[in-house]
Order: sequence, then C-alpha cells, then structure tokens
Amino acid sequence: MPKRYLALLAIGFLAISGSWKAWSHHAFSAEFDKDAPVTLRGKVTKIEWINPHAWIHLAVEQEDGSTVAWMVEGGTPNTLLRAGVNKNSLPIGTDIVVRGYQSKDAACRPACKANGRDLVFADGRRIFMGSSGTGAPKDGYDPRDK
Amino acid sequence: MNQLIYNFAAWLDSHRWSTLLHESFYMYNWVETTHVLTLMLSLGMLFLVDLRLLGYAFPDVPASAVAGRLKLPMLVGFTLMVVTGLLLFYAIPVRSAQSVWFRIKFLLLIAAAINAFLFHRRMRESVAAWDTDQRAPRRLRAAAALSIIFWVLIVICGRLIAYNWFDCEYDQPAFVSAVAGCIAGQELY
Repeated sequence: MPKRYLALLAIGFLAISGSWKAWSHHAFSAEFDKDAPVTLRGKVTKIEWINPHAWIHLAVEQEDGSTVAWMVEGGTPNTLLRAGVNKNSLPIGTDIVVRGYQSKDAACRPACKANGRDLVFADGRRIFMGSSGTGAPKDGYDPRDK
Repeated sequence: MNQLIYNFAAWLDSHRWSTLLHESFYMYNWVETTHVLTLMLSLGMLFLVDLRLLGYAFPDVPASAVAGRLKLPMLVGFTLMVVTGLLLFYAIPVRSAQSVWFRIKFLLLIAAAINAFLFHRRMRESVAAWDTDQRAPRRLRAAAALSIIFWVLIVICGRLIAYNWFDCEYDQPAFVSAVAGCIAGQELY
C-alpha cells in the first residue's frame, strides 16, 4: 500500500513540475520568440547584474519622441564579463542599440521583454550578450557559434 | 501593514550591500548553497528526534540520549541556516517580502517556533517518566508530528519562492495581490 501512495505522489510531482517555470531561468524557446526579432535603440535606465541572467533596462525611443520601457535579458554576469562587458561599462544613461528577440507573451508588463543577442555602443563597439546553447537562433551574433 | 512591509523592504533594497550580495559573482550562490546544506543538517537532526518520540527511530535508546547527542549539530546547523536565510532575504528584499510563498513560510516558522517552545517545556517536565518507552506520550507525539509537518511545509514554501507565478510585477487576481501585499503603482524591482 505505501508503495502505491509513493508512486502516486511521484507521478503527481512530476506532472506539476513539468509545467513549472523558475524565476528567470529557462531555455530560450520557453520564453522568447525566434520569429519576433527586435532592434531597440535607447538609453540604459537600470542594470540588474544578477545570476542566472543579467537584465538591461532601456527607455526605447519611439518615432514620436516618447519612450517605451524594455528589459533585455543577457547571459550570466560571468559570460558577459568574458565577452568584455561589466556593470560599469553600462552606466545609467548610456546610449546603446540592442538586437534581440521579443518574449512570446509580448505583454509589455511590467516592461516589454526581449532576449538580447548583441549590444552596440555609440562608438560602434559590438558585444554578443546572449546565451549560447539555450536554443536561441543561430543568427551569427555569437562568434562562438559554429 | 503591507505598505510598512514594502517600505522596510525597499529601504533594505536601497542598501549598497544588498545589491552587492545579489549581484556578486559567487557569494550569493555560496549563501544559497549553505542555506540548503545547513537546513539539511539541522532538520535531519530534528527529524531524528521527532521520529524517536514517534517510535520510528532508535526505539531502544532513551529519548533524552538521542535528543542530547543530536542537539549540538542541530543548533550549529540551525544558526547557520538562520544567518544565511536572513542574508538571502537581504539580497532580494522586495520580491521576497511580497512573495506569497515567503509569507506562508513566515507564518509556518512562527507556528513551528511556538510548537517547539511548548514541546520543550512538556519534554523537560515529563521525560523522566517515559524516557525508555518505545513511544512518547500522546501529546508529545502530536508535537513531534506537527514539527515534522511544519518543517516539511516550510522547506517546500522556501523552494517555491523561486517561482514567479504570483509576483507583483505581473497582473494578478485581487486575492493573490492582497495576499502578496502588492502596492498599486509600486516601483519595478
């Protein structure tokens, strides 16, 4: 009898855990849409230099002069450091252009979300800011992608 | 009340050390890992004592001997668990304070503390009478069972804090929003 209960419990747990989404740790395809590429131009408003993914918050300029809040997910702080960027490279107010892919929900609450693939500074310096091997498209942004 | 909790958490969040800990390359992971390892030590010892009272572990060893020997590792584990737990809260104060799971966990911790306090008093008063019995008297067995139930639920709630289904930054039903203590128009953390 106890064995049967244990088996039921285990099945229940597996069934639930399959649909659970951990706070900001996931494969690319779980949250982002490879068919929705975006190019975001704007000023940095906030940086969250945290594991498992860094987030860069941007005020993206619209054609009419207004701004829309976006938050762009990068790789781990460690990955970004090795790519040549740390928190001090992106002070608040820095002008950047980010290319990436919008989140599947496209809800824009609390801010529009995207997975960043590369990041271009005003001086033209370009940095790959995504995570490799997570199922993100092989779009040529990652110099290590073969 | 929710406004007070939010203000306190936002104040903690404004600390330089809170951000430094959350954004550190390795320290946050070490603190989190230590929290999990020491809770295993602490609860592992506690559950053995509870199981002894229920009659499922070391039935031929006096209950006071089991409790006495496991007390030191249990308290060492407990102390480190509390310290690392506070640090984890300090690193991510606003999101944690507005987590439905954290709030349930906090109430359960209070319940577990009251249960432990009553349990120790009863045990001190009566242990001489049943020390070598295979099972403790009914009321102490109830306290031991409650202790296991509370702590298992506390660990489950603690694990679930990592999930974002009920986070204030998403649109939530009024009930969830009330339980989580979301503040209308609050800043994004």
